[in-house]
Amino acid sequence: MRNRTRHGWRRWVNWVNFFSLLIALFVLLPMYWLVTSSFKTTASVGSSPPQYFPIPVTTSNYQVAFGDYTFGRYILNSVIVACCATTLVLVLGILAGYALGRLPVRGKYPMMVTLLMISVFPQIAVIAPLYLIMRDLGWLNSYEALIFPYTAFNLPFAIWILRNYFLGISMSMEESARVDGAGPVRTLVSVIVPQVKPGIFTAGVFTFTACWTEFLMALSFNIENNFRTVPVGIATFGSQFTVPYGTIFAASVVAVVPIAILVLVFRKSVVSGLTAGAVKG
Amino acid sequence: MLAPTEIAPGPPATLPGPPRVSHEDLIRRNLARLGWGFTAPALIVIAAFTIFPILFSIIVSFEKVNVSGSGFSFSGLTASNYSIVIKAALWHHALWFTTLYTVVTVLSEIVLGTLFALVLERLTAGRGPMMALLLIPWSLITVVSAELWGYIYNSSYGLLEGLFPNVLGHPFSATIALMVADIWKTTPFVTIIVLAGLVMIPTELFEASEVDGAGGWKTFWRVTLPLLRPTLGIAVLFRVLQAFGLFDLPYVLTTGGPGTSTESLAMLAYNTMFTDLDFGPGTAVATSTALIVLVMSLVFLRVFKAQVGKETPNA
Repeated sequence: MRNRTRHGWRRWVNWVNFFSLLIALFVLLPMYWLVTSSFKTTASVGSSPPQYFPIPVTTSNYQVAFGDYTFGRYILNSVIVACCATTLVLVLGILAGYALGRLPVRGKYPMMVTLLMISVFPQIAVIAPLYLIMRDLGWLNSYEALIFPYTAFNLPFAIWILRNYFLGISMSMEESARVDGAGPVRTLVSVIVPQVKPGIFTAGVFTFTACWTEFLMALSFNIENNFRTVPVGIATFGSQFTVPYGTIFAASVVAVVPIAILVLVFRKSVVSGLTAGAVKG
Repeated sequence: MLAPTEIAPGPPATLPGPPRVSHEDLIRRNLARLGWGFTAPALIVIAAFTIFPILFSIIVSFEKVNVSGSGFSFSGLTASNYSIVIKAALWHHALWFTTLYTVVTVLSEIVLGTLFALVLERLTAGRGPMMALLLIPWSLITVVSAELWGYIYNSSYGLLEGLFPNVLGHPFSATIALMVADIWKTTPFVTIIVLAGLVMIPTELFEASEVDGAGGWKTFWRVTLPLLRPTLGIAVLFRVLQAFGLFDLPYVLTTGGPGTSTESLAMLAYNTMFTDLDFGPGTAVATSTALIVLVMSLVFLRVFKAQVGKETPNA
């Protein structure tokens, strides 16, 4: 923005563009290696010196991931867990965010600070007790073993984000709905919620991404093959002695692309979520 | 609790004085009750799966835990778990490794991220695609990035094998290798945060600095950096707390090796619990890690508040 207007070739060939290109390459080169390696034959994945282009192109790695390994099942597990947790987070988060943002709840501030603390708490601290509790409940290797902890760990951030949005909308519509005789729940659903849609997108995308990428709890609670999620599946491919990189990368591409698309579609929501803390202070 | 709608249309304004106040009080009390009704479900879930387990974990860390075929049993209060941990060379090393890792990666990411943001802020075309690009590593599964770097570092057919043979075979180079993988994945995240902070700085300040004859370097130190301080503070806070809980990357990329040289505190806790089945010392490691993080975040908040207070006295 502060760039002086440049003319002629200087407009395109200057140090800003040059360094921006370097930054793009810094991000892209490892990604290029991930994607192309997933299309290489087993021989060319293991060739030394490395093969820079995937020739010949093969999709056999994808067939192995979904055929020999049950990667389709891992995807299904991840989708179920992430969708259920995201729905729960949004429903509970909207209710709590609304209450903390607009209703006279006592002890609001200690509550918000506690939530902030919980959202940065290291997960390793709850692994042992949750494992012991779930073992007693018979929850190990089940969907609920992940859905509830994921909901609990992602709720604080969602409540913070949603509360900020609730604080920002005007009080008048709510009051007129009240005067018209609408109950509190109906007012919330039909009048308030539509106004905080961007906040809901932000909270939703963050929760879904966090659930999709979470590893430690999934590894501790759901190690049985039928309940493995995508990250656990990818980490446990192969045996102790061989690492089937072709298969791993094929699975990785399938796991990463949908979430990358989701993040790119909701780019504005994600950036506003990332910078919410930084800008507000 | 939510069902009866006491917030019915307000009474006509013709009501006499005193009862009117009590009516407003009633509305207020009902709204407060509604607020609790709305907040309670979220708080119950959060408490049940975070606060309660942490308290339970503190108790377990002071108990002797016996693991047998039939399950876990607890016998007696003891401080021995902590004394075992504090004396253990493994714990000393994990604490040192995690601290070093946190300091080096966070510093590098802040410096590089600020540099990237300064460049990208001057970009006139293609900002949108660039932001999109920066989001990709953020959304990447850490396990995937660990596998990818494992392939790049591979000692017999890796991309870097010609330049640096057997990177993961030595404690020092394996540590650097982990840091590089982390810096690659997280610098874009820091860049986005700093970029948002840069955009918030009013353009007039830069213009004024230019009019005063300050060069680019001087402007950076005198104007940009001081105004970026709150943003950088938040970025450091997030990153330090996150880096200190390090688990996924070394678990997959180096499995803590060679030996136990790249074993983080979280990995040590996990391995003690699930590989050695020593739940007592394992929870002691986990609980002490959480305690360190808690103390750090309190110190950060204090320092941060003090700094912001100094710079904007009216805030």
